[in-house]
Amino acid sequence: MDRAGARLKILGSVVAFMFIALSTRLWFLQVLSGPEHAQEARDNSIRTVATDPLRGDILDADGRQLVRNRISLEVRVNRDELGDDAEATLTHLSEILGVPAQDLGEALQTKNYYSYQPVPVAEFVREPVYFKIREEPEKFPGVQVVEQSVRTYPHGQAASHVLGWVGQISAKELGERRFADYGPSDLVGKLGIEAEYEKWLRGTAGEERFLVNSDGEVLREFDPKPAKPGDDVVLALDLDVQRIAEEELAAGIARARTAIDDSTGRYFAANAGSVVVLDPRTGGVVAMASWPTYRPGWFVRGLSERQQAILFDPRTAPMLNRATQITYGPGSTFKPFVALAAVKEGIASLGGYYDCPAEYVHPGDESGTVFHNWSESGAGTLSIAAGLKISCDTQYYRFGSDFYFKDARTNDEELQRRMKGWGFGRPTGVDLPNEAGGVVPDRTYVSDNPDRYPDGWIPGIDILLSIGAGEMKATPLQVAQAYGALATGKLCHPHLASRIVDQDGNVVKRVRGACHNVPYPQADLSYVREALRSVTTGGTASAVFAGCPLEVAGKTGTAERPPYQDTSWFAGFVPASNPRYVVVASVEQGGFGAETAAPIVRNIMSRIYRTPCQGPALGRAED
Amino acid sequence: MDLVAGRVYAQERRPIRHIDPVLLLVTGILVVIGFFLLYSATNQTLKQDGLDPFLRVDKQVFTVTIGVVLLLLMATFDYRFLRVYSGFIYAAIIAALILVRVPFLGSSAAGAQRWFEIAGFQVTPSEFAKLGLIVMVAASLSELKHAVPTARDVLRLCVVAAVPLVLVFTQPDIGTSIVMVTITAAMFLVAGVSGRQLGALVVICLVLIAAAFQLGVIKSYQLDRLQVFLDRQNTSADVRYNLDQAEIAVGSGGLFGQGYLHGRQTTLDYVPEQHTDFIFTVAGEEFGFVGSLFVLALYAILLWRAIRIAFLSKDGFGTYLATGVASMFAIQMFVNIGMVIGIMPITGIPLPFLSYGGSSMLSSCVGVGILLNVHMRRFK
Repeated sequence: MDRAGARLKILGSVVAFMFIALSTRLWFLQVLSGPEHAQEARDNSIRTVATDPLRGDILDADGRQLVRNRISLEVRVNRDELGDDAEATLTHLSEILGVPAQDLGEALQTKNYYSYQPVPVAEFVREPVYFKIREEPEKFPGVQVVEQSVRTYPHGQAASHVLGWVGQISAKELGERRFADYGPSDLVGKLGIEAEYEKWLRGTAGEERFLVNSDGEVLREFDPKPAKPGDDVVLALDLDVQRIAEEELAAGIARARTAIDDSTGRYFAANAGSVVVLDPRTGGVVAMASWPTYRPGWFVRGLSERQQAILFDPRTAPMLNRATQITYGPGSTFKPFVALAAVKEGIASLGGYYDCPAEYVHPGDESGTVFHNWSESGAGTLSIAAGLKISCDTQYYRFGSDFYFKDARTNDEELQRRMKGWGFGRPTGVDLPNEAGGVVPDRTYVSDNPDRYPDGWIPGIDILLSIGAGEMKATPLQVAQAYGALATGKLCHPHLASRIVDQDGNVVKRVRGACHNVPYPQADLSYVREALRSVTTGGTASAVFAGCPLEVAGKTGTAERPPYQDTSWFAGFVPASNPRYVVVASVEQGGFGAETAAPIVRNIMSRIYRTPCQGPALGRAED
Repeated sequence: MDLVAGRVYAQERRPIRHIDPVLLLVTGILVVIGFFLLYSATNQTLKQDGLDPFLRVDKQVFTVTIGVVLLLLMATFDYRFLRVYSGFIYAAIIAALILVRVPFLGSSAAGAQRWFEIAGFQVTPSEFAKLGLIVMVAASLSELKHAVPTARDVLRLCVVAAVPLVLVFTQPDIGTSIVMVTITAAMFLVAGVSGRQLGALVVICLVLIAAAFQLGVIKSYQLDRLQVFLDRQNTSADVRYNLDQAEIAVGSGGLFGQGYLHGRQTTLDYVPEQHTDFIFTVAGEEFGFVGSLFVLALYAILLWRAIRIAFLSKDGFGTYLATGVASMFAIQMFVNIGMVIGIMPITGIPLPFLSYGGSSMLSSCVGVGILLNVHMRRFK
């Protein structure tokens, strides 16, 4: 057996080699890469599912819910649990949902969900559907009905432009840094307060972690990290005033459409308009209405084709907020600020009298350019107050000329600087997205836009600016902000939200508009306020406010906008001696300020104070 | 004195006094460890199905009881009787391998071995064919006239080995075929078949395997398994799954393991076939590198004892028998653990004493019985 013994040694060596090979491999697998494998084992068996937080509500100043959440039933299908009879299940589902089985099948093809995550196939299903599925669970393996929270608008389209809407996050938004922790199916505020206060309203997603076996069955749930609901946004807005503003704006526009435009002989188009109601003491926006309007509730279920056609019609653009996103020539509503600037800069004085001819030519101008008063006649020599009362243009043309001359000496753009001091020419900083900043034409603007100013820096720029015409553009909100400053002597930046409150009722953040005193003597401000008071008692808006016991100060405005009809403006505050509300209305293609805008403001003020203000529906055809 | 001495001598040489206690102890420890691993691998899924978590362990204990009876039975009679009956044993094995292919008599599942269904137990003839092959080849080798087997002898022996081998291979049971080839080769080696002849046999085997691939005897899942082993990066996750999960399980054990019944992969049933072919993953995950080495050490002792028995045997038949059984345990252990930890392709070879499965346990017990028998009667 010696030979066999030698051969057995070979066999023994082979076996020894086997043990060395196995031990070495085990060393690499278990000791050297053990931690990675341990992590892989954990990843294998722990499934993490994010839970959506409840979005915060949006409330008005009195705590009334403008936007809240409601429960919607959603049908979801877990593809892992569909089983062998997927087709039969989808057929049953298609019958009770009234959706083609093919569509359901396609919905399940999505790559947005992991195979263990149920895929939503139908939203907003009615309760009977839910009961059918629950009664015959054997017919619907892997089908579940879950409660989803969706936005609801208890007051319909009230304040729609302020509130905005939420929708599924877009691919473009997903790429933005502020949406870094959003998923492709997440909802996000798209417009208005919903967009502006997204990070507060959204809340913090929770996390559910499950231990699952190799079949994907959940064996145990770890302590879940509950979703933290979003904070509520409380607005300065007063739902009652908001409704009044919306109704009166719509009514005013409807009235304007029945009136004939003297200059064109056609009905006023009155295609759009807006109203802003501000609390001048704080800058809080009490109401903000824009017309045409839309229902944010449409977005909850996804838009039908008809709804899309309405919402995205470029001619009406109902989602545009005319109060903050569109700029108009402010017209004569601009004059009080020019008057104060002229006095402050020594171009005019409160005791002085200034000519109000029918026509005005810039001194030394040889080009033959003539600036006309809005009415065909002159009014003699007037004080500043009297000029504001009847809205004399030519008086202001002269102030414009004088600013031009002064500017030529000092190179200081006094008029433009003063107007910017009232907040014109830059966004107010209101808490709404996409606010327009408007334009105060100055030298930089002129040189930046040579196509609009082929002659460069000429006296006509200052002359037209003095009556809020030319390229001067402002949003109704900017006008309201400036009137608030005029009314109180303090310019407060407007804001819609007043505070953000968490679910326990703690105030997380207070929103205040920064306020600062305007650089004008009290006496000058009082003088102009008095003059504006006379506008409604004996001036351009006196017919509108005739018989109205409210102490209203204000100014009409009519801005030419060829080839369209004039933009109708009225900006005022009440009570004049202790202003509580600034109300500004503007109507595109609405004619003279006193015709369309002033009655809207009058009716709003009348209803806020529950004080009847008799008067003609339409004012006289006055600037 | 002589008589007394002779009686003492005879007394000392009584087989019962020469049981190999180390071999029995190591076998016993492996079997008990097997119960624990089996419980860990199966209790969760059984509980989930509303069954007794000890169901499989109980069945395995029952099998082991039969195994112990067979082991003792195997050790009681002189192993040389096996040489006498080797022809019958061989014929019985061939008959069983043929009958199992007859419909209604034998059962099979997709990709599984073939078995007889007897009183609720699955009896897999290929497991016993390994033992039959060992007995037949050992008997044939021990009867060779020449000290060194001639080419003619080798050829004749090859035919003897090839008949059950082909029957098993075409079941198809590639794992057992590999074991049978290895057993035959090891016995040839010890019997003194020259290196050149062994080399020629290897070449012939490779040619036949290639032919088997060409003729489509090999099923596609078997090809997949081979591809996973050869080129893991380019294999789909589905095919790789078994191997990946096994490696994660063993690897996550680390140095000391995650603790008994605390293996994440094991308790959550991530390793398919864990209680049968992949039982080693339980040891790897729950007892770590240290535990794995302990199990390997037990096998090392077992094989050391087996080869020692082959060495100690006074006749060629005993040596060849022990060699056959040793090589059977060695190749099964190596291919099974090697497959679990990714250094061998996946083939359905059970791990002796640890894998759940009646036939495998019984044939292993009989194997130990043969070893014991040879050891007990090493003085003639």
